[in-house]
Amino acid sequence: MTGDSLKHRILMVSDFFYPNFGGVENHIYYLSQCLLKLGHKVVVVTHAYGSRSGVRYMTSGLKVYYVPWKPFVMQNTLPTIYGLLPIIRTILIRERITVVHGHQAFSTFCHEALMHARTMGYKVVFTDHSLYGFSDVGSIHMNKVLQFTLADVSQAICVSHTSKENTVLRSGLPPEKVFVVPNAVDTAIFKPAVDRPSRSEIVIVVISRLVYRKGVDLLVEVIPEVCRLHPNVRFIIGGDGPKRVRLEEMREKHSLQDRVEMLGAVQHVQVRYVLISGHIFLNSSLTEAFCIAILEAASCGLLTVSTRVGGVPEVLPDEMIVLAEPDPGDMVHAIQKAIAMLPKIDPQAMHNRMRELYNWHDVAKRTEIVYDRALKCSNQNLLERLSRYLFCGAWAGKLFCLVMIVGFLLWQLLELWQPADDIEEVPDFSLPRNCDEEMLEKKPLK
Amino acid sequence: MDPSLANISSPIRPRWRKVAYGGMQPGYDDNHTDESFLEGMVMNASVVKRDMLKVMLDSVSISEYLCIVALVVLVWTRTLTSTIDENSLLFIDVSLLVSGFLILLFTQEMLSLSLLLHYFLNISFFITVLYVLAPIYQTLTRSISSDSIWAVAASLVVLHLFLHDYSESTVKAPGALKSPALTSCISVNASIVASVFVASRLPSRLHVFAIMLFSLQVFLFAPLVTYCIKKYSFRLHLCFSISLMVTTLSFVYMLHRLLFVLLLSLLVFVNVVCPYWLIRIQEYKFEINGPWDEAKLCFDITD
Repeated sequence: MTGDSLKHRILMVSDFFYPNFGGVENHIYYLSQCLLKLGHKVVVVTHAYGSRSGVRYMTSGLKVYYVPWKPFVMQNTLPTIYGLLPIIRTILIRERITVVHGHQAFSTFCHEALMHARTMGYKVVFTDHSLYGFSDVGSIHMNKVLQFTLADVSQAICVSHTSKENTVLRSGLPPEKVFVVPNAVDTAIFKPAVDRPSRSEIVIVVISRLVYRKGVDLLVEVIPEVCRLHPNVRFIIGGDGPKRVRLEEMREKHSLQDRVEMLGAVQHVQVRYVLISGHIFLNSSLTEAFCIAILEAASCGLLTVSTRVGGVPEVLPDEMIVLAEPDPGDMVHAIQKAIAMLPKIDPQAMHNRMRELYNWHDVAKRTEIVYDRALKCSNQNLLERLSRYLFCGAWAGKLFCLVMIVGFLLWQLLELWQPADDIEEVPDFSLPRNCDEEMLEKKPLK
Repeated sequence: MDPSLANISSPIRPRWRKVAYGGMQPGYDDNHTDESFLEGMVMNASVVKRDMLKVMLDSVSISEYLCIVALVVLVWTRTLTSTIDENSLLFIDVSLLVSGFLILLFTQEMLSLSLLLHYFLNISFFITVLYVLAPIYQTLTRSISSDSIWAVAASLVVLHLFLHDYSESTVKAPGALKSPALTSCISVNASIVASVFVASRLPSRLHVFAIMLFSLQVFLFAPLVTYCIKKYSFRLHLCFSISLMVTTLSFVYMLHRLLFVLLLSLLVFVNVVCPYWLIRIQEYKFEINGPWDEAKLCFDITD
């Protein structure tokens, strides 16, 4: 049955990967692992992180190319339109790739690599992980770049339905080309506590980067009010950022030092320990395409209170989340409702339900369907594709066409200078399923 | 055909729900686009529909300020060519001061004696300091050639006009909290520096004092005076602006024909062409709002 379906050779491209931790990084890692288990071949390409440069292998033989380009701002590589063409071409030929999968609109590496992949005729899939606006200068530029990349993409994936609407409006893609495949959570790691924390004192956990768009200003208004109304409520705040100062000032002003605990930056491995010490998880983001933090909290058996923004209403069923408008009064009301709902919540039942609702293997299977669909797209040569770029705008369309033509010429030059036959192809090898266990058996423990 | 058999052969698929959990929805592909797609999108929610006449009347305040600055430059050129001597300049200063005061008196609702005294004290302090510092301005640019002075002064005046806050948000009633924007600070500074440069070319101390007082009076207080007139009565504002424009145009005509043509075309451009252009391109405005927008905080962040 595994021999029937086509096996793909996928190249994941993004600026954001391990050793960085975040939504996009985790998504790429888990998706790659599950695709490997389904029998496909996955290779990841990203920029070098500090001294971590070259080829590394991760669990299950996931090969990662850390291309020696240094990031220049916010983990993005310097955009040099054609600079990445040689290395991407070499990797694509060496690994005999069939599908290139780029992640995150904010990653310059991704945009460039997708452009080169299209020039060389590979099928391209793009996943968008964030929501963007339309009116400020940064968003306008980002949307134009996205229009360029998505003008010629084979298929696109978004992580929620709201994100699909946003991406379709920003890029002008036909909605049938956009698939909605959500993120998932590793429920094996995020298990509820064996002994539940006692209900005499209700603990509300907040874990996020303390920046404006995560709604820290809302927290500053909400926490003193909740502490005033419920004397038995305690807060634990994990995470660091520019807005931490405001929270500490709020603590001082209302003398809440014993009721609000600030943990600072929390390592990714420690997140579960922080979560299981609480009963309620509070998320006050002002904008969120999907919000994996809520899934992690629900998997650990916490009841979630969140602002009704972006894709959050789609993420959890109503019995596991209480939604509020991004207004302090409404949020206090929602927290009170959650406290009243607490006695009926069984963390283990919630965890079991999450295991049914979200599963990385399911995400991988749905992504596989997208790849199958992408491969069915017709092969078009340069001239046919150029007409798609002309729709991007009166001036921009012609500029994009010029960029693609120069890219095509550079590619032909590379083909002459470094012919594809000269590039050595990597032989396939697959790690046996239980190779780790065999090694442990062979080595006697002293 | 038996209806029950028909039901078995084509099962009704459950309704599509806008949720991300639960895996693939049975009967629907992942790229299924429902009728409720883009349901929450709102277009052009906060776009103001503009009327040509109103925009033209609003642009009168811009041309009023342009004429004021043109008059100041005119006085500068006349003084530099010694057409106006220092006594007539001082006379102009005093009359401007008195008329400005009178306008403020008549248009402000609060007419308390203490406020008047406060204004009077500030003005006298300002004049005294200017008189004391006049010798410094006189010798300031002695080593710089005249050409550089005219070039710098001209570019500073242009910069001042570009960055000036025409919406008059810097002119505040006592007690307003809003601090002026960076560009309006730069524009005020540019105008003051231009006045100092021009004043430093004059022969005697009294000349310097008179021209500095005149320039600073106009640049610093003209926005306040025009704001008070506009607030008091729109018709008065309109009459004042039109008479100002006519006066300026006639003076400039007497000075130089080409400058007159330039000023006239600039006024026509600002008053007629720009409003028409604005309304023409307004129809291309496409503002999109929806559930994907970042939430706006309804309270002010007080640090």
